[in-house]
Amino acid sequence: MFFSREDFIREDDLKVKVGFFHFSSCSGCQVSFLDMFEDAVEILDTVELVYSNMLTKRETVPRMHVAFAEGALCIEDRRHLSLARELAEKANIIVTVGACASFGGVRRLSVGSQPPQPSHQSFLPLTEVEILKGKVKYAIPGCPPNPSLLYNFMLALLEVNEDFLQPFEFMASSRDASGYDVVKEVINKGLCVGCGTCVTACPARALDFNYTYGKPTFNPLFCVHCGSCLASCPQSFKPYPQPVY
Amino acid sequence: MLKLDRSFLLGKVKAIYRVVSKGESPLQLILKKMMEQEIIDGVISARKEGGRIVPKLFKAPSEIELSPLNTFFGVNTLLKKAIQKYHLSRIAVVAPSCVMDGLNKTQYYGIGCNWVKTAVALKVGILCTGALTQESLNCEVLDLLGEREEVERCYYTKEGLAYGLSSGRELLVNVEVHHHYVSSACKYCLNLSARGSDITYIPEKEENVGIFIIRSERGGRTLGLLQKEYPSLLKFSSLKMSDISHVEELLKKKMILNIDSILERVEVGLPGSKWDGNRFRKFYRVWNAIGDFNIEEVF
Repeated sequence: MFFSREDFIREDDLKVKVGFFHFSSCSGCQVSFLDMFEDAVEILDTVELVYSNMLTKRETVPRMHVAFAEGALCIEDRRHLSLARELAEKANIIVTVGACASFGGVRRLSVGSQPPQPSHQSFLPLTEVEILKGKVKYAIPGCPPNPSLLYNFMLALLEVNEDFLQPFEFMASSRDASGYDVVKEVINKGLCVGCGTCVTACPARALDFNYTYGKPTFNPLFCVHCGSCLASCPQSFKPYPQPVY
Repeated sequence: MLKLDRSFLLGKVKAIYRVVSKGESPLQLILKKMMEQEIIDGVISARKEGGRIVPKLFKAPSEIELSPLNTFFGVNTLLKKAIQKYHLSRIAVVAPSCVMDGLNKTQYYGIGCNWVKTAVALKVGILCTGALTQESLNCEVLDLLGEREEVERCYYTKEGLAYGLSSGRELLVNVEVHHHYVSSACKYCLNLSARGSDITYIPEKEENVGIFIIRSERGGRTLGLLQKEYPSLLKFSSLKMSDISHVEELLKKKMILNIDSILERVEVGLPGSKWDGNRFRKFYRVWNAIGDFNIEEVF
């Protein structure tokens, strides 16, 4: 359990304290949180936002129940290392949001029109940082994750809906994610039904669909390693609750 | 041990109707009328185009033309286009259970496409004994008939699954032969009757006749509304469970073959995909357990 009765100091302070932390990323995942619009207000009734580089003025990291972290850790950036230390100390659990924090994402490639600066060239997903290992409990795939996914996740977290949260726990211990997952984990294992959900989930159009063979095709050049394809596949984990058996 | 009983094979059933329509397939006509009445603003399904079946988003009633074969590959590829590009908010999805699984998952978790939960107005599942690519279908016909012939339609009769051939003949399909030719994943399917949808559609021999299994309040209300509005176009007759016992028999035969394939997969030790929590092994344990489990709690 990531929050207990002792965590709530005063009787009028029963809100779950959450923080948003930014490592090396485009901030798209935080923007995705903001894209929840009025649904976010519904959630903010039960949570208290104690830290966010976009929404709060606080400079020090307070103690909190859940830290949502986006972006990959840059090994050469001292601030990232100290933030990782602080999170390990002050957060009850960490949820890595999006591809960069969960699986490395585009940061693993470090390619693009603008090459990385010499002082920023090595990036690791937060799930691979030893000091955070016991703390990172859930990883949310996507580049960025959909607002509806983040909304459902927040609700499940507040309700401690373990059926919903379990797959995200699997993902936190997964080392890499790419379109090859769909090829090797689903198609090659004879599990692909050809529904096309992975194709619609891909934010980079790395997955296309071959209608003759009824299977998705993968172009690794476009893949941003976000993990959406396998996570959305009905064969990777079955939806809960199951249609009535 | 699990039972291959009616509730496992057919799931929740609120009512069953045989619908006779004027001219075209009753499902097609119903979707057209729903769109005219603005109950839905789009249909995601598949249709025949240039000799092959491709997924299609229908945005106008006149465009609607559903796939006559049991091939609905890639239907979910159109979700993002329908919801995020065209901003459709009352979509009907017509497809078999595997596509519904993907849709249900996207609705439940929100992975893949944004706000699918609120954008889908009706889920029409197609009864499916396994999907085939065009090549597999050709080979199956060659195997059963001994000669090449094009399949025009796929439907269900009292004798089982049948194909309407281009020559006008009917080809009854042996389930075991069919099991050999369907996609690999269809051999592990446990949801042949599209449980989890609002309505399950079963096409019959006559093109303008079909059976509708109503599963949800939403499905029942929708059909009720259309029955009232178009009594001359759509003739509804209520059926009992015993009237579709032939469907149940067919599903039972296919399900036994599927369960056999799953048990074999586990026994040989073929791996499942990562993050799936050993779904097939769980099924194996339940199948071989002595007690009576509620499968819904196990999965």
